[in-house]
Amino acid sequence: METLLEWKEKIRRFYSKNEVYMVPIIKFFLAFVLFLIINKNIGYMKRLDNVAIILVLALLCAIFPVNAIILFGVMLTLLHLYALSMEVFLTGAVFFLLLALLYFRFAPKEGYYTVLTPICFVLRIPYVMPIAEGLLCKPYAIFSVVSGTFAYYFLDGIKRNEAVLGASSENATATSKFVAALNQLIGNKEMYLVLVAFVISMLLVYQIRKLSVDHAWTIAILTGILLQFVILFAGYLILGIDGKVITLLVGSVVSTVIAFALKFLFFHVDYSRVERVQFEDDEYYYYVKAVPKISVTQSKKQVKKFNSNNKKKTAVHKGERITREALAKEMDIDKELLK
Amino acid sequence: MIDEERVKQMTRMAIYEEGKGRSDVPMTQYFRHDYIGKEMVKSILSGTMAFALICAMYLLCQMEYFMENINQIDILAFGTGILIKYAIFMVVYLVITYFVYDVRYTVGRKNVKMFYGHLKKVNKLYEQEEKRKQSDEWQGRIEG
Repeated sequence: METLLEWKEKIRRFYSKNEVYMVPIIKFFLAFVLFLIINKNIGYMKRLDNVAIILVLALLCAIFPVNAIILFGVMLTLLHLYALSMEVFLTGAVFFLLLALLYFRFAPKEGYYTVLTPICFVLRIPYVMPIAEGLLCKPYAIFSVVSGTFAYYFLDGIKRNEAVLGASSENATATSKFVAALNQLIGNKEMYLVLVAFVISMLLVYQIRKLSVDHAWTIAILTGILLQFVILFAGYLILGIDGKVITLLVGSVVSTVIAFALKFLFFHVDYSRVERVQFEDDEYYYYVKAVPKISVTQSKKQVKKFNSNNKKKTAVHKGERITREALAKEMDIDKELLK
Repeated sequence: MIDEERVKQMTRMAIYEEGKGRSDVPMTQYFRHDYIGKEMVKSILSGTMAFALICAMYLLCQMEYFMENINQIDILAFGTGILIKYAIFMVVYLVITYFVYDVRYTVGRKNVKMFYGHLKKVNKLYEQEEKRKQSDEWQGRIEG
């Protein structure tokens, strides 16, 4: 356990020290993965289905705020939809506009969750998202996961129905394409089920982790995952959706592990970074670099254990007999204290 | 001479001002109800826009049906139905807006209070420095 705590501290120190480089790297990585997923799944515009292009876009995202990833992702998606058909492009544009009205009104600063949600869906571990938000955010942050979920199911539906949606205008009328593009989203019962499960479990996790009870975070994680599993399992049975149970089971187990990893990394840990600020008073200009203090002991420090009931055992260390005087001298304390 | 304590307080204030303070400070210039009211007005606009988009998409999808049955549709009942749906949509949207911005205001106000705490300390430090300067001046005059 001590080793784990030391590792936690090392990670915190590393992040605090290198936050300036870490954040752009994380943003670059997230953007690259997201754009790669978009291109692999709905890469209808062949000119854009190129690693070089997404590399450049991801590099731009590393510089800009996190919402730039969402913006570029939407633009990339719309261009691919345009290549598929004009009707699907228009449907997509209106759909993303609606999502923007939801996301930017209620959770504009939770961009990471919006980006991570479709990525987690592709990796079959979306169940971790509401748990993570419940643990780390305010309740209204759920709108970011809701937006990400809508986006995933919309694009998944497009991919599944690409034959119908991309058919030439001789075979399908414009209206029928609109209807098909919309219906694959509106008529998707699984999406509604997942949304209900996500919202309920996120709110539950948030409420539990705020309680002043021992192991609140652990209880919150386990309850949240279990509730999500029950809702989804029951929902799949009622709606007659087959072939999802194993994915749900494995995904839930992996999500639980990730949630505990998040607990380990974020529970009572302040990732406050090195801040560089400038201000002035009547006499001076100040250019201040504020470095967070380190609180946890490092392995360099030695911990000695004393057991007053078993003095013999304590005194014999690695075959050497240590006298009380020697120990007191070594510890720089009064020997009377060791009686 | 640089006053260390003052620099510490001012650094904390500067960190807050450059971070969360950007959104918190303007927020607390309003009373709670005024702030939430302002956001509700914004939500009425964005909600109406969202509902209009949803309606447009619905009409587009049902275009063929409408064209075929244009004479049989009861326009009044249809309009009333849309208005009722709009009212329900807006109520839900505004209730969510109320809760979200109420929480934001509470959190923001708490942060701003801490900021003003630092500000008070800085003012106190200035006053102390001023007093010290004055007493030094008087002592100098007496000695001189």
